[in-house]
Amino acid sequence: MPKLQRLLYINSESTHPQSAALSAAVYEPVAGSITQVDPTSEGLPYASVHAAMIDGWRVIQAPDVWAGIGTDDAGEVIGFQFILEKIEDFD
Amino acid sequence: MTTATVATDHRLSDDQMASFVINGYHILKPDLRTGLNQEIYDALDAMSTNPGDGVLEAVPQLNQVWNSPEMVGALTSLLGPDYEMFPHRHCHRNAPGTPSQQIHQDNLNDLRIDGGQIRQPDRIDLILAMYYPQDVTSNMGPTLILPGTHVLQALPERMASQGNFRDQVIATVEAGSVVILHYDIWHAGTANTSKTVRYMLKFLFQRTSNPSVPSWNHDPSSDASIRRRLESENPMSMQRGLSAKQRHLRTRMWNRLAGDQALDLSYHDKWVGGSWN
Repeated sequence: MPKLQRLLYINSESTHPQSAALSAAVYEPVAGSITQVDPTSEGLPYASVHAAMIDGWRVIQAPDVWAGIGTDDAGEVIGFQFILEKIEDFD
Repeated sequence: MTTATVATDHRLSDDQMASFVINGYHILKPDLRTGLNQEIYDALDAMSTNPGDGVLEAVPQLNQVWNSPEMVGALTSLLGPDYEMFPHRHCHRNAPGTPSQQIHQDNLNDLRIDGGQIRQPDRIDLILAMYYPQDVTSNMGPTLILPGTHVLQALPERMASQGNFRDQVIATVEAGSVVILHYDIWHAGTANTSKTVRYMLKFLFQRTSNPSVPSWNHDPSSDASIRRRLESENPMSMQRGLSAKQRHLRTRMWNRLAGDQALDLSYHDKWVGGSWN
C-alpha cells in the first residue's frame, strides 16, 4: 500500500497557529478527487491549526506575515494560510 | 421608472437597510400569483439554447417578479426611486453534476472603463437580483455568499485553495425567492449533486442619480442604534485589519445613502455604562 500525501489548507485569523480557522480545504491524493466549496458542509474540520496538529497533521508551510493584509491596489485575501500534511496509506 | 407605484410599506426599514449595508445581501419572497414560478421553470426548461440577454423577452412572466411591490420597494430603497434595469441579464442553468464555481466578484469587463470594472466600496450603485423559480436545497447548487465582503476586493486565484469558509452563507430558498446582492459581494454557484436542474435568473439593476435623502422607510430616531450596528456587527470572521476596513466603509456607505440625513459621526464614548470586557 503506497504512502501518499494528504494536504490540509487552513486560513487563520492571524499568523498564530491557535487563532481561529476561517476557512479550510482538504486535498486527497486520489484520482478524480475534487476539492471545492461544499454547500452541504457542516462546518470546518478543525477549529484551528493547533487543533489539526493535535490530530496528527504536520505544518509544512507557515504563512508569510505579509500575506492576507491586503492593500488598496492589490485586493484582499481573508486569513493567513497554513499548509499541513498527513502521510497515510492509500489503496 | 417605477417610483409612482411604490407602496411605502414595501420599502425597507432602517434595520433592513443597515443589514444590507453590513451583510451585502437581502433575501425576500414576493407575493407572486399561484403557479407563476412553475410557469417560468417550465418555460426555461423547454428552451434548447441559452437565450442570453433575451431571456426577459423569451419569458415575459419574469416581469411579474421584477415589478412586484416587494421587489420595487427593496430596489427603490437600495438604488433610489429612479433605478433602472440593466441591459445584461443571465439565466444560470445548474444541471445535476455541475461543480462549484470558484468564489468570485462579478465583473462587467466594460471595455470603456480602465480595468474593465469600477469597484466603489462605499456606494450601492449596482445590484444583482437572483430569482429562483424552484426550491433550492443544499444539494441543488445554492448560491454561496461571503457576508460583508462587498466592501472588499477579491483576488479569486489567490483564494482558490481556501475551500469552505466558517461563516459562509448558503442561500437555500423556497421557489419564488429573490436574493438581492450588492454587485461587489464575493459569491459562488455551488455543486448540484441532486437529480434536479436548478435555474437562477440573474438580473442587474442600477442607480441613475446620487441620493440626497433616504429612499427607504427612515426614522431618524433610530440613528443611534444604526450607528451601533454599523460600528459593531461582524457578519464574517476575518483578520482584524479587514474587519476595521469593513466597518469604516459601511459607515461611509450608509451616510452616502442617507444624504442630508446622514449619521452624526462625531466622537462618542461607546464603552461608558457597558459591561466590563
